[in-house]
Amino acid sequence: MTKSLGILVPNAMRTITAAEVAGMVPNNALALLSLTLTPPPAISESLPKLDILRTSVPAWRATLGLSTEAAQTSYQGEVDPFLPQGTLLTFGPFLQYGPGVENFLILLNVENSPVYRSSALEIYNTDGGELRKEFDVRTNDANIVPLDGLGFQPGDLPMFICRGMAGIPLYFSRTLDGAYLSLEHTHPPSSLVVHGKRWEAQKMLKHRWFNKVA
Amino acid sequence: MIVEKVKRLRRAAWTWRQPLTRRPTQLGASVSDLFVWRNSADWKTSFELMDISGLFPEAGELPERFATMYCFDLAGRCFLENRLDLFPGRRQTIELAELVGDDHGEAGTFAVFHSATPKVVTDMGSYLAERGYVSFRFKDAPLRAYVHGNLDAISRIPDGSLELLGGSGLMSREYCLQHEMTGPALYELALVNPTAAERRCTFQLVSARSGKKFAGQNALLKPGGAALLPFHVDASEPVRAIIKSDMIMARPLVFRIQNLKLDVFHG
Repeated sequence: MTKSLGILVPNAMRTITAAEVAGMVPNNALALLSLTLTPPPAISESLPKLDILRTSVPAWRATLGLSTEAAQTSYQGEVDPFLPQGTLLTFGPFLQYGPGVENFLILLNVENSPVYRSSALEIYNTDGGELRKEFDVRTNDANIVPLDGLGFQPGDLPMFICRGMAGIPLYFSRTLDGAYLSLEHTHPPSSLVVHGKRWEAQKMLKHRWFNKVA
Repeated sequence: MIVEKVKRLRRAAWTWRQPLTRRPTQLGASVSDLFVWRNSADWKTSFELMDISGLFPEAGELPERFATMYCFDLAGRCFLENRLDLFPGRRQTIELAELVGDDHGEAGTFAVFHSATPKVVTDMGSYLAERGYVSFRFKDAPLRAYVHGNLDAISRIPDGSLELLGGSGLMSREYCLQHEMTGPALYELALVNPTAAERRCTFQLVSARSGKKFAGQNALLKPGGAALLPFHVDASEPVRAIIKSDMIMARPLVFRIQNLKLDVFHG
């Protein structure tokens, strides 16, 4: 389902809040914002292809964020639909510690098909490969996974694997009073190398670690 | 068809032989972003160091692995080269305050190079890249604010020398910050020059409502150096920022401080 939020003229800028669109978004649905030159159909059976100029340097971007009354935290939030055969491997050194601090993984997935698929998110300690816990996650959702209580210490490096779907792994930390927030995503394995066959490096790393902890 | 050809030619004026970054001159070189550090009574910077070579197959066959951190001041002068031990499969949070000290200003850049490139990486014609995670703590806040690196800005070739890899354009170009700056807040935009020449940059604020231009700020960035420019934004006048330079992508690191709370992100 697509609803128009209006027209943005060249050089204009607009900030859209969740409250502004709350009435348009069905319960448990994932809301996606996009810019298009021509309006997509109001109803479609798959994610509409956007009629928009694409650039890569820099890429079209949008800054997304979370806020409380006391604080806000932002990150670059653009996402392209993932392939249904995608998988996830990432290493997340973002856990923060201290009284009243909470940590979450927000695993964001979007696919062209609106059908929900469930998959297991496996969380390991990289050193030793011990499985700490599995969580159920699904496609076309911002899956919120609590990271506290899994026994990670400050020197531990959590590893996240999902063999059934890809996603953007966002790490969100907050103080219980909402006065402080932190949000950032980790890189995919392909970012560990530049030039050459980067995607082969990603395949190689996934193959190695998926088999190592299988 | 002619319209399409004209479009492509016009686009080529901006892209032909003007890459965002160049390849290192030697295979086996290690690559890093130029991360921003801030260190003062109000600011602390940390870097999450992982043994990324050790993540690859056959890592056990590599010679002893370590990382080297180079720290630069805002003028791009290197004042520190420091070896860091690596711990496979572990997270190591490096506190920059212990390394940069108080004698090199309150901000600068740093790079981290890994000593050993796995053979599987060089076999693919690739280079190991450190584009990891920096965090900033403002005024002893209980949480750090994280931001990831994303540019292959500098390389260290096997003989130990450093190469800046950033590209520049034939024509000056504008980078529009993809964020509406709202107040009341203090914004500090940090812009790094990853190119091998001095770059003149202009920071222009434009009213997001009326399009009115406010007085801009200029900065001259030395090679490998950076500028950190403050902008106070009122609640009554949201603005957008445009950065003009001949760097291919003059995308700043944005520090936003409101009610003594920090938000940091790429624009």
